[in-house]
Amino acid sequence: MNKEGFLAVENTLFTVTMLLYFASMVLFFIFIAVHHSEKDSRDEGKSGRIAWYVLFAGFVLHTAALILRGIGAGRLPMTNQYEFATSFAWGLSLVSLIFIRKYRFDVLGAFAAPVIFLVIGYAAMQSKDVHELMPALRSNWLGFHVSTAIISYGSFGVSFAIALIFLLRGRLAAGSFLDAHIPSREKLDAISYRAVSLGLLFLTFCIITGSIWAERAWGSYWSWDPKETWSLITWLIYALYLHQRLRKGWKGRSAAIFAVIGFICVLFTYIGVNTLLPGIHSYA
Amino acid sequence: MEKLKKAGRFLSSMQFAMILLFILVAACVLGSLITQGKTYEWYAAAYSERTAGAILALHLDDVFHSLWFVLLTAFLCLNLLLCNIVRLPSILRQWRESGTPETILSAGSSVQAKMKDAPDAAFARMGFRRVKEGSAEGRRCLYSVKNKAGLFGAWVCHLGVLLLILGFGLGQVLKTEYAVFGVPGQTKEIGDTGYLLTIDDFRIDERSDGSVSQYTADLTVQNADGSRKLSGSASVNSPASMFGMKFYQNSTGWAAAVHVKKDGKALQDEVVCAGDFLAAADKPELVIYLNAFYPDYVLENGTPTTKSREVRNPAYLYSVYYRGQMIGMNALLGDEELTIDEYTVTFSDPETYTLIQIKRDPLTPLALIGGLVTLLGLILALYVQPGRMWAVQEEDGTWTVWGYSRKGGAIFAERFREVTKGEPERE
Repeated sequence: MNKEGFLAVENTLFTVTMLLYFASMVLFFIFIAVHHSEKDSRDEGKSGRIAWYVLFAGFVLHTAALILRGIGAGRLPMTNQYEFATSFAWGLSLVSLIFIRKYRFDVLGAFAAPVIFLVIGYAAMQSKDVHELMPALRSNWLGFHVSTAIISYGSFGVSFAIALIFLLRGRLAAGSFLDAHIPSREKLDAISYRAVSLGLLFLTFCIITGSIWAERAWGSYWSWDPKETWSLITWLIYALYLHQRLRKGWKGRSAAIFAVIGFICVLFTYIGVNTLLPGIHSYA
Repeated sequence: MEKLKKAGRFLSSMQFAMILLFILVAACVLGSLITQGKTYEWYAAAYSERTAGAILALHLDDVFHSLWFVLLTAFLCLNLLLCNIVRLPSILRQWRESGTPETILSAGSSVQAKMKDAPDAAFARMGFRRVKEGSAEGRRCLYSVKNKAGLFGAWVCHLGVLLLILGFGLGQVLKTEYAVFGVPGQTKEIGDTGYLLTIDDFRIDERSDGSVSQYTADLTVQNADGSRKLSGSASVNSPASMFGMKFYQNSTGWAAAVHVKKDGKALQDEVVCAGDFLAAADKPELVIYLNAFYPDYVLENGTPTTKSREVRNPAYLYSVYYRGQMIGMNALLGDEELTIDEYTVTFSDPETYTLIQIKRDPLTPLALIGGLVTLLGLILALYVQPGRMWAVQEEDGTWTVWGYSRKGGAIFAERFREVTKGEPERE
């Protein structure tokens, strides 16, 4: 198969992935809608599990699509708006699958799947053309820098979904659904903390690898470029999140609000900076 | 003295750190949203005269180099330093005491459970591998601590950030930076360093579709008396290192030979890069400035541009200055001549020049170490979570088990309850 062939299959797989992510989102919604209305907790969580498997199937095809894109383009698929957006959705999907499974927390899927679908929808709106890389992007550091950003953004996306659940939990009527499927506020706070921890660790990796790369490419590891500055802002917001959790009475609601603000910063760093504040990262 | 202590406590406090971080976030937002380095006129046109005045008065036109931003960063360094000094004894005390049965058994717990059988398996499943045995008030007890290194996480992270800021901040002051541009064969001085840079060769590698894959400059650097000479290649993403300096292939452009005749006799032949100028040898107040070069010149909607990188229809856009005043601007096509009084100017032999950026920043390694130490601190703080678990055998043979993990929170507590109830593994 030639390069065009790989890219054509990638295009098909991408479309199927989008449909599966959409289906998983709908199934997670159905899971909540059906079981929330039940008076008792007879549900074994089967519909939630089906939604998880559909999300997982989407993730597997998404992975295949990215691999084929890499083969078709002859490089890592992480260098333009389309490629980063689809990789971002992949990272969100990966971290969501892990957190849902690890913490037996199907409701998280109902909040994470829409974010995944929105991000992959944004990817679908971008140009899928494959261009040769400019010399500055031809670096081994590209893979480290962008892949750490993907995991970081994915983790922050999941912490955002958990924070939304935390903030909405109080509005739900007490009952079997709440008890069976949504963790306590304390546990939600702890899971959100784990997601933020993962995101912050990888964001730090991302900033360091980016700085090393920038030093080799441009002779300056930090130039206050808008993307760099907003990555720092995001890092500082999550640093504030970690600090304020140590203060008495600041866990829970205020931490959840910080997680929401942090993810808004992530989105601005990714989309807002690229469109409103062009700089040396304008290709990303 | 009390006031001084109070000030010290505040400067080392987390409250002060959070205030500083909030201001830092606000400063970064302003610095990224307000276009930096513009004039009053530019800001007045973009916003309003009053806003432009405020931007300049508050140094928001150059936020990241302003005195208030430097002071803010200095206070953050002070806070990190004091915080680490104040916290170190307490962390060391926790480190030493966390392994003794007395301190473990008297410590507070976050969870507690009763078990019929010996809790050895529960210790193992909670990740407490090294369980010690002792006695407390005549009763048998088991105790264990794990991940003590995590106690140092925040401390190491603070140290890393401190080193990073110091490396970056001092690097801004101590670093030296030069730019040299030229065409192959030219030798130029590197600023005031005393070294000479010769551009031996400059290559642009192109793919079959005409896009550029790499720019490479072969360079030779020698000291002033020529006694030491080093050579190297600089390409994008791969700088050359010579004499403690780094040489970066920064950018490229066009240059051309400029021939000046006076009354028909050759006066000067020099290579001038686009964006550079040439003063007449016998009349320095007369200056020719090469604005741009178009290898395949074409006018599109009145704007000069080039159709390709091939030299097919060369055009030289120039300006003429006399005593600092521009007296003319036009484009010369191919071999066309420009006549200024008794002077005749022609351009020929267009070729690409390279811009080499030369840097020496002795503190870059410190900033890198700072970044890596920050990363290590984060790993310790976020993923090496200290915890302790202990159990005491009651008179009836049953066991009371306690656990504590400050950062583990509800997840640690839930896991503890599962394990002490003997629930099966779920992962």
